[in-house]
Amino acid sequence: MFARIEIAVRPDLIDSTAQGLLRSIELIYPQLRSQIRWARYLDIYWLDLPVSREELIPALSEICWDRVLQWVFTGNLMPAAAGKTGGLQDLMEVAPYRPGRFYGIERRFRSGVTDCKSKSLIEALEIVLGKKLTQARASSGGLLVMEGPSLDEDALARIARDILCNETLETWTLVPEDGLKKNERFHQERIKYDLPKVQTRGSQAVETFAFGQMSEAELETLSQKRLLALSLREMKAIQSYFEDPQVKEKRSVLGLAQPTDVELEVIAQTWSEHCKHKIFNAEVRHEGQVIDGLFKTFIVGTTEQIKKPWLLSVFKDNGGICVFDDEDAFCVKVETHNSSSALEPFGGGLTGMLAVNRDILGCGLGAKPIFNTDVFCVAPPDYRESLPDRITHPRRILSGIRRGVENGSNQSGIPTVNGALVFDERYLGKPLVYCGSGGLMPRISAGEPCEVKKVTPGDRICMVGGRVGKDGIHGATFSSLAFSDQSPTSAVQLGDVMTQKRMADFLLEARDLGLYRAITDNGAGGLSSSVGEMALLSGGALLDVSLIKTKYLGIKPFELVVSESQERMTVAVPPLQLSGFLSLAERRGVEVSDLGEFNATGNFEIFNGPVRVACLGLKFLHEGVPRMELNSRWTPPAQIPSVSLPEENGNRVLESFKKFGNPVLLDLMARPNIASKEWLIRQYDHEAQGTSVIKPLHTSAPESARVWSGPNDAGVIKPKVTSDLGIAVGCGIQPKLSEIDPYLMAQASVDEAVRNVLCVGAEYGAPESVLALLDNFCWSDPIHDSEKMGALVRACQGLQDAAVALSTPLISGKDSMKNNYQGKRKGELVSISAPPTLLITAVARVADVKQARTADFKSAGDIIYLLGHSEFGTLGSELNSMISQSPQFQLLTGEARAGRPSWSLARKLYSWMGGSQGKQQFRLKSLHDVSEGGLLVAVAECLISRGLGASVWLPSGRDPWEVAYGEGFHAFVGSVAPDDAPALEAEWDELGIPFQRVGNVETHDRMEIYLRGSGSTTTQSVYGNLVFTATIPQLRSAWSKEGYWE
Amino acid sequence: MKPQNPRVIVITGDGILGEQETAQAFRLAKFDVEIRHLNDLIQEKLGMDELCRRYSAIAFPGGFSFGDDLGAGKILALKLVYQLGWDLPTYASRGGLVIGIANGFQALIRMGIFGKDISITNNSIGKFMALWTKVTPVGNRCVWLRGIGTIDLPIRHAEGRIVIGASRRAETLAKMERLGMTCLKYEGNPVGSDENLAGLCDATGRILGLMPHPEGYVRGTAHPEWTAHRGRAGAPGMGLTLFENAFREAM
Repeated sequence: MFARIEIAVRPDLIDSTAQGLLRSIELIYPQLRSQIRWARYLDIYWLDLPVSREELIPALSEICWDRVLQWVFTGNLMPAAAGKTGGLQDLMEVAPYRPGRFYGIERRFRSGVTDCKSKSLIEALEIVLGKKLTQARASSGGLLVMEGPSLDEDALARIARDILCNETLETWTLVPEDGLKKNERFHQERIKYDLPKVQTRGSQAVETFAFGQMSEAELETLSQKRLLALSLREMKAIQSYFEDPQVKEKRSVLGLAQPTDVELEVIAQTWSEHCKHKIFNAEVRHEGQVIDGLFKTFIVGTTEQIKKPWLLSVFKDNGGICVFDDEDAFCVKVETHNSSSALEPFGGGLTGMLAVNRDILGCGLGAKPIFNTDVFCVAPPDYRESLPDRITHPRRILSGIRRGVENGSNQSGIPTVNGALVFDERYLGKPLVYCGSGGLMPRISAGEPCEVKKVTPGDRICMVGGRVGKDGIHGATFSSLAFSDQSPTSAVQLGDVMTQKRMADFLLEARDLGLYRAITDNGAGGLSSSVGEMALLSGGALLDVSLIKTKYLGIKPFELVVSESQERMTVAVPPLQLSGFLSLAERRGVEVSDLGEFNATGNFEIFNGPVRVACLGLKFLHEGVPRMELNSRWTPPAQIPSVSLPEENGNRVLESFKKFGNPVLLDLMARPNIASKEWLIRQYDHEAQGTSVIKPLHTSAPESARVWSGPNDAGVIKPKVTSDLGIAVGCGIQPKLSEIDPYLMAQASVDEAVRNVLCVGAEYGAPESVLALLDNFCWSDPIHDSEKMGALVRACQGLQDAAVALSTPLISGKDSMKNNYQGKRKGELVSISAPPTLLITAVARVADVKQARTADFKSAGDIIYLLGHSEFGTLGSELNSMISQSPQFQLLTGEARAGRPSWSLARKLYSWMGGSQGKQQFRLKSLHDVSEGGLLVAVAECLISRGLGASVWLPSGRDPWEVAYGEGFHAFVGSVAPDDAPALEAEWDELGIPFQRVGNVETHDRMEIYLRGSGSTTTQSVYGNLVFTATIPQLRSAWSKEGYWE
Repeated sequence: MKPQNPRVIVITGDGILGEQETAQAFRLAKFDVEIRHLNDLIQEKLGMDELCRRYSAIAFPGGFSFGDDLGAGKILALKLVYQLGWDLPTYASRGGLVIGIANGFQALIRMGIFGKDISITNNSIGKFMALWTKVTPVGNRCVWLRGIGTIDLPIRHAEGRIVIGASRRAETLAKMERLGMTCLKYEGNPVGSDENLAGLCDATGRILGLMPHPEGYVRGTAHPEWTAHRGRAGAPGMGLTLFENAFREAM
C-alpha cells in the first residue's frame, strides 16, 4: 500500500530545524525574515510497500512515532499520533497569531538522487517486520509551514529556491492554507503520483562513430557535444589510433569496427585534465628556457633532491606514504572539490570528504583514516552585489560545504583536526573546497609491505560498496572545464555516509585477513579510471558491465563505466580468496559485484554480457595523450598602493598610529580572514577516535559562564594507544600574495605550513625528523593565457626553492586548473578567475605528545618574545586589504615592501623548535606564529581565551604600522616564565637565533601598546610611551564576530 | 591459575564509531575486551544466558548508527530488540553492567530502558557541538559513578537534549529522582536538556547512559587545558574512573 507520513515536533517543544531555517532566511533576506511570525518543519516520507495496512500501522507507530517528541500526520493510519483532529490544523492552531495566514513549501528529491533517510526507513521496516522488502519504494522530503500576513508567492519562492531547496537535486511546490488543512495529500493515488520514479527506459545500445571520416570541425563538435573535454589535437590522436591498420585488424577480429561510445568515454575520462594533469606535464617555454614538465621538474624533482629515508611511496599511489614507526606507516592526501561544490555545495563538501577518505582507504594496501582537514576559499558571506547566472550566494556555499564536511567527517568517525577559511571576492565564480585526510596502516599486512601495489593476472575485479546510478556522470571531464551557466547537473552527487562506513570497516577487516591483493578507490572517472589504472599492474583487464549492481535499470554501458556514483572501491581479489571475501562482505552488509578479471593481454576490454563493447590498448590509453606545449611569461605587477612609512614623515606616522591604533586592531580582529572560526570548528567532531592532543582551539577553564577559546596553529593527534608518538597537521595558504609575486606566495605558504606544525611541537631538523608537505594548486585556466602560466611557473619555483631550503619533501598533491567562471550578470558577459592559490599541508611527527604546545599565554608575569625574523612588510598584508576597503582610515600611502624570507635563519630557528638543536625548548610555555594581521593580532589571539592582559612594546625607529601589523616569514610569539628566561636567552644567543622581548603578560584585562624611546613624556612608563589600549572584552567581541556567521 | 579478569563486550557495526576508544578505556581498567559486530552476534544468535555467562559488562559506544536517520539510536535500538532480542534490564538484574555512551545512550533511551516518558532530541541550538563540559554525578545509585565528583568530559553530538514527556512530567521526574535515575547533570547546560540532565541510569544503577564521552578522557593530554598543567600530562584522565568503578563492581 501507499502511505505518506509527516513527522512534526510537538508544539510544546522547540523545533530546531525550523529555527535553523529562519536563521538562514535572516542572514540572506533579513526583510523577509521579519514577515514570518511562526514556522514549523515536518519530515515527510512517501512509501510504497508490499505490506498490508494491518501489518503496516503497528510497524510505523513503532518506528516513526516518538510519543514524547512528535506528532505524526498520516491521513488516517495513526489518528492518535497527533492532536485532537489528527490533522495539520492542530499544529497550526498553536501559532501565536489568529486568524493566521499559513503557507507551506514542500520539498522532495528529484528522481535518482541518493536518499539515505528513506533507505534507512526501509531497513527499519525490514527489521521490525522481520522480512526483506525488495519491492519497497520510499522517498523522503520535508514541509516548511509558515505563518505571516504579508508573505506572498514571490517571497515563498525565494525561500524555496535560496534557502530550503537546491533545485539541482530537489523540486518544491507551494501548498496553500486549505491544502495543509485538508487531507487530500494522503490519498493513495496522490501518493503514488508523488513518489519519484526513475526512468528505466534507457536503451542498452552502444553508439559507434565513423571516426575515420570526421573532419576537424566534426571532431571538435563531437568532443563538445558529449562533454569529453578533449582538444582537437587529442581527438586527432584518438582518430589516428583507430585508423592504425594494426589496430583496425585486431579490432575486426574482435568484432569491433568503429570506435564505440564506451571507448571514447573511457579515453576522455583517462585523458581528462582531472586525471592526467596535462598542464602540469606539459612542456613549458618560460622566458627563453624550456621546462620539461612542471610536475617532473618542480615537484618530483624537489623530493628527489631532498631524499628522505622515511619516504615509502610518493607520487605513485592515492597519497604519499611515510614511516610512522617500526610497525606502522601513515599516508596523506588532499583533494579539491571545487566544481561540484559550485553546483551543489552540500553534496560537494560531503562527497569531497568521503572521496578523500576513500583515497586513504585505497592507499597502499589500505589505511584507516585517522584525521581529516578542510580548507574553504569563498567570497565574503556579506557579499551584496548581484550574482551572475547560476552562481550561488557565498553564504549559502559556505553553509553547504561546511555542512557537507560535517556530515562526511562526523558520521564517519574521523576527527577534523585542522583547516582554514579564506575570503576573497574572486572566489565568487568558483569556491575552492580542499578536503584532506590521513591514515595509518601496518607496514606489513598479511605478509605484504603496505606500500607496494601488486595485481596478478587471474585476480578478480571486484567493485565494493554503493551501487551505480546515473549520478556523477562526467564529473572528471566537467571539472576539467570552466564553470558556466551551461554546466550539467548530472555531474552532481550526494554521498551516503552509512554505506561508506560499512564498506570501510569491511575492507580494513578484509585487509587484515589478507582477502585481497590490491585496492584503489572509484573516484573521478569511475570504473574506467580505477580498473584502467589497476590493469597497468597486471598488464590488462576484462570487465563485464552487465554484472555491475545498479541502483535502477536503464543505464547505458558507457554510463556504467564512467559513472562516479559514490562509496565504491575497486579491489583485486585472488581467486582463492574470493569466497572468503564475498562471505565476509555479506556478513557486514556490504555489496560486492564480481566484474571480471585482471589479465596480461595488454588491453582494457569491456563486455556488456556477451557483446564486446570496448577494447583499448593499455599503452595507448595511458601514454597516448599528446603532450601539451604551453607558453609562459611573468610580468611583475605595477606598483600596488599600500600603507607605509616615508622616512621624513615620522611624526605624522606616529600621530596616525596613535589615532587609529585601537580601531585598526579591533577591525583586523574582526576581518573574516582573522576572526574566530569557533562557530565552524565546534560543529566538527575534532576529537573522534579519542586521539586528540592539540585541538583546533585552546580553551580556558570551562567553569565560567561564557567559555572563551583562542586559536591553535595546528592539530596534534596521538594515533596509537601504545605510543606517545604524535602526528601534527597544519596548513599554509597565502593567495593575497599572488598578485605581488606567485613565487613569494608559494614560499610564504610553505613557511606558514611549517611554522604552524612547529608551533604545536613537530619534530624538525634531523635526517630522521619526519615533516612532509602536500601541494594543492588551484589556478584559473592557463592554457591560452601565458601570464597565468607564468604565475604557475613562478609558484612552482617558489615552492621548490622553499621546500629544498627547508629540506621538507613534497609527498603528494593535486592540481585543479579550471577555476574560472564564464557567464552573464544582468545580461552582461562576465568572467571571474580565482586568484592563483596554493595550499600547502604540512604533516609531521611529534616525538612525544607530552611535549606538544598550544598558543595561549598561561600566566601573568611571563615574558613575551618575538622569536625569529622581524622583517615584516605591509604589502600583501591583511592590514593592506583592510585599508583599501575601509575609507575611514586615512593612513599614509606610499611605497611599501613585502616580507622576504631568510631560509638560513629559518633552518636554525626551526631546528631548535623541532628539537634537533639545543635542549631548552621545553621551557617555552606557548608558541604562536605571526601571520595574518601581524604581531599585535598574534599577541591578542594568545590572550583571548584566558582573559589575561599584556603590555607590548614596539621598537622605535621603525614604521610602527609595519612592526605592529606587517606580515612576513619565520616569526613567532612565545611566552616564557621569568625564571626560565636566562637559560633560553643564553641558548638562543649560542645558536644564533634572533629574539626580542616585546612584552609581559599582565593580570589586568587590557592589551597596552607602548612605543619605545619616542617623543612625548606624558604617558611614559618603564615600557615606553603608551600609544593605545584595547581591552580583552573589546578584542573578544571583535574576534568572535557574532551575528555574522551562520 | 591466574584469576580471570572480567570481560566486556563492545558492540560495533552499522555506523557505530567509538568501539576502539571504548575498548581501550575498558582495557586500561583491566577488563578483557571483545569487540563484536552486531551482524555476527545476530548470526550466532547470542542469547541472554550466554550473554550473562560470558560477559560482566556490555558497552554501546558512540557513533552515528544508521546515520541518525529517524532519530539518533532509533534503528540500532530496533535491531537490538527485534533481531538480537536482548533484554537489558534482566541482564542487569542478573548482575551485568551496561554502559551506553552518546549514540549508545540514545539507543538505550529508544529501547525504553529509562521509561517511555523519556526521549532525546536535537540540541536546543540545533547544531552539532564538540566541546568540553563539567558534569556532576547526583546521588549514589549509579555504580559506574560512585565516588566521582564534578569532572570535565567532552560532548560531541547533535542530538543530546534529554526531554521528559510534558504530559506526565512532574510524576515522571519525581519517580526518577526517587529511584536515583537522574544520575548525571551538566554544570551549565550547553544542550538545553531538561533538568540539566547529561546521563541517566536504571533503577538498579547498573545500566548507565550518558551523552558526554568518559572514554574521551582516559589520558591527561586529552584535556583541552593540559598544556597549562604540564605536570599532569602523563596522568590518566578522570573519565577512566567510570571504567575502574565497573571493574571493581564486576570483580
